[in-house]
Amino acid sequence: MPALPHYPFVRHRLDNGLRVVISEDHLAPVVAVNIWYDVGSRHESAGRTGFAHLFEHLMFQGSTHVGRNDHFGLVSAAGGTLNGTTWCDRTNYYETVPAHHLETALWLEADRMGGLLDALDQQNLDNQREVVKNEKRQSRDNQPYGAWLDLVHELAFPPGHPYQHSTIGSMADLDAASLEDARSFYSTWYGPDNAVLSIVGDVDPDATLAAVQRYFGGIPAKGSYPPPPAHDLDPRIGAEIRRVVPDRVPVPRTFIAYRCPPFGSRGFESIELASTVLGGGRGSRLYKALVLDRPLMQPDDEITSTWPFVAGGTVLIADLPAREGVDINELEAAYHDVADRLVDGITDDELERARSLITSGWLHHLTSVDGRADAFSQFTTLFDAPELVNDMLPRLLSVTAEEAAHWAGEVIRPDNRVVLQFVPAADEDAA
Amino acid sequence: MTDVRLIAERPEPAPPRPWHFPPFTRREVAGGRMLVCDIPGRPLAVVSLVIDAGATTEPSGQEGVAELAARALSEGTQRLDAYGFAVASERLGAVWRSNVDWDSLRCGFEVPVDNLVEATGLLADAVRTPGFDDATLTRVRDERVDEIALDQSQPGPRAVSAFVAAVFAEGSRYSRPDGGTAATVGALEPDDVRRFHAQRFGPATATAIVVGDLSDIDVDAVGTALFGGWESSAAPASVPDVTPRENQRRIVVVDRPGSVQSMLYAGHDAPARSTSDYVPMTTMALVLGGMFNSRLNYRLREEKGYSYGAFGSFDCRRHGGTFAARSAVQTEVTAPALVDAVGEIVAMHKDGVRPEELEQARSYRAGVFPISFAGPGPVAAGLGDLVTHGFPDDHFDRLRQQVLDVTVDQVNAAASARLRPDNLVCVVVGDAGKVVPELESTGLGPVEVVADDD
Repeated sequence: MPALPHYPFVRHRLDNGLRVVISEDHLAPVVAVNIWYDVGSRHESAGRTGFAHLFEHLMFQGSTHVGRNDHFGLVSAAGGTLNGTTWCDRTNYYETVPAHHLETALWLEADRMGGLLDALDQQNLDNQREVVKNEKRQSRDNQPYGAWLDLVHELAFPPGHPYQHSTIGSMADLDAASLEDARSFYSTWYGPDNAVLSIVGDVDPDATLAAVQRYFGGIPAKGSYPPPPAHDLDPRIGAEIRRVVPDRVPVPRTFIAYRCPPFGSRGFESIELASTVLGGGRGSRLYKALVLDRPLMQPDDEITSTWPFVAGGTVLIADLPAREGVDINELEAAYHDVADRLVDGITDDELERARSLITSGWLHHLTSVDGRADAFSQFTTLFDAPELVNDMLPRLLSVTAEEAAHWAGEVIRPDNRVVLQFVPAADEDAA
Repeated sequence: MTDVRLIAERPEPAPPRPWHFPPFTRREVAGGRMLVCDIPGRPLAVVSLVIDAGATTEPSGQEGVAELAARALSEGTQRLDAYGFAVASERLGAVWRSNVDWDSLRCGFEVPVDNLVEATGLLADAVRTPGFDDATLTRVRDERVDEIALDQSQPGPRAVSAFVAAVFAEGSRYSRPDGGTAATVGALEPDDVRRFHAQRFGPATATAIVVGDLSDIDVDAVGTALFGGWESSAAPASVPDVTPRENQRRIVVVDRPGSVQSMLYAGHDAPARSTSDYVPMTTMALVLGGMFNSRLNYRLREEKGYSYGAFGSFDCRRHGGTFAARSAVQTEVTAPALVDAVGEIVAMHKDGVRPEELEQARSYRAGVFPISFAGPGPVAAGLGDLVTHGFPDDHFDRLRQQVLDVTVDQVNAAASARLRPDNLVCVVVGDAGKVVPELESTGLGPVEVVADDD
């Protein structure tokens, strides 16, 4: 096993509650600035699905001192890259800029954290609503198999659970979103005491902290935020849920989702290891059985994967695109034959392979300053523990074969799975 | 609630810090060429080979054989079967990557640096003594045929294949996707793959790239493992046929009834990477469609809300290239969106850029160099580009300076010469029944409808 890197960092909390993590890396004269707001689609109210993400778009439309197109324009002109994303547990905003433009990035982020309402108007909302509806069309409605993700949310989580709807939301809810909703969402969730700012790169920590204080220190704390929606969840789905989805697709494809313990738990880490043994890489059991030994499915280096959700539970997902002419039920039966046996035990060779893959995957994830900045924000937001950037990999590597097999037995079982079968439909039947 | 106090004045940037592409050396080891870059303190390293076996080196009628060969390399060697090779590399934490584009075939490992030497042995076996048995090559081919069908079921890739078929002459290599078509790949036999490997892989066509913390690595031993005793008659490739068609502006609709969006492509052939106006031409394309605030994205997304994003760029290869504007737009606005996209191309062609637009594109492009090359993976990719195009050692530093120096006049000359609105091929993948009448009334050009499975 290679020596694991240790990334230095300092953490601080401003008087207004903003948590700040700064990590030096002087390899290149660049810096990554990354903010996580502790609000995602999980926090949306009924009838407003998709709103956290729509709101993220509005954060790029200007603020008190920043013109409508200037956020992208100023970062681009600085020679930087930027974006924002929304998922169930968070909304993040980030830019990577040449290090001498650090303060430009801080100024832009502070201005929209404290002054978005000065620029928010009906025209911006209407325009970005159309953009987001086209994002949904492009990523879901006009893509073969595009419905799978929404169906996993809908079926693997019970009605009323905050993960039961996906981040993109519904067209009807997007249409219903009003300017008042946007103002209220901002006033409710966007404050320094509900955010984490991470800065990684060619910086001096003391000077950087002083700059953060200068730009963000004048934004008052909100003081309180609504409690997160109730997310109690049975550890298991209870009975198999099965759906056949006729779609305009070239070959059948089956998605299987299992409910599993939440990100941050020992159970989740055990499932990560189990998933790598089962479906991670070309030396995995599923790759050998379903690709190499019998030509049942399209090759895929990551047949199984997990989502890092924290509220009550998350999912382990297997993605099985059939080879042309293969019976979808035969593929599924062969899959279960392999997956359901993981509980019987994991060999030392399998354990070593999985640990090596987890190690290199984790190192790869943290290679770039932007990847590391996002990880610092993630662990601080979700667990108030930036040290997990260094400690998560040792935790994953400490999972034993027995733990992985045990949790495989708890999770990979018929009464805990959603099976989605996408099958080619005649044109007139297609979604 | 207390008042919000924000800093009103946008900060002035600090003085720029110097940046240069990371220093590297070229070596000859055991009859092979190596580019070696030491990046201290990084836990992951890259060892790879760049081989003059890209898509344009394929025999006519065997389009896709390079991709097939690249995939089959990691499917077992003369010592290990596919599963054995996968397990051996994954136990090292070595992640295999192969990639074929028009100009080169690249393959190798990203691996924790402690295991770099062991991974090099696996790479050498894969490239020099692949298993390539009939059963494996047939399986990999059949998987690839299925993958092409999956790929073509998506609007974007389907638009690309229609676009290149319309822009380039029948028989031109560029008229088919670099990975081949289901028909050309499906017709490949195991012997075709073996022959391609024998003719294209050898010390005369391969260059090794090694990037990472090399303080404890014997680089010559890495080179010897890759090249020592490698006998091959592979020689540099001849110049391919990449002839474009003589297109007058026209519209090709690939009919997909029920589509809720139309995938738009509008473009034409373009000069090779070696063109003397490469920097002005591609900087112009940044203003047109290469940045978030580009004209195309601004018009189609931020002003009209037609699309999630609109882009335009040149793809400059060794022997030629393409220019294309592209966007996925809501079906109902297909015709006005295409009119807008073409309108932006016409306007750029006629009037060029404004000084402030150029300033933003210039500073963006020069600024992202250090971001683009942070870490072993991106540096290895950059070194691969030096090999592919025969660039000198100081290429990236010089390119960055050329970007900083480019003028409005140079950019506008490139816009005038390199955008050709009268020759645009406009591809629309969408519901022909809904979009054709309006497309015809745009006057952009004649409309031809083709079946999806054409």
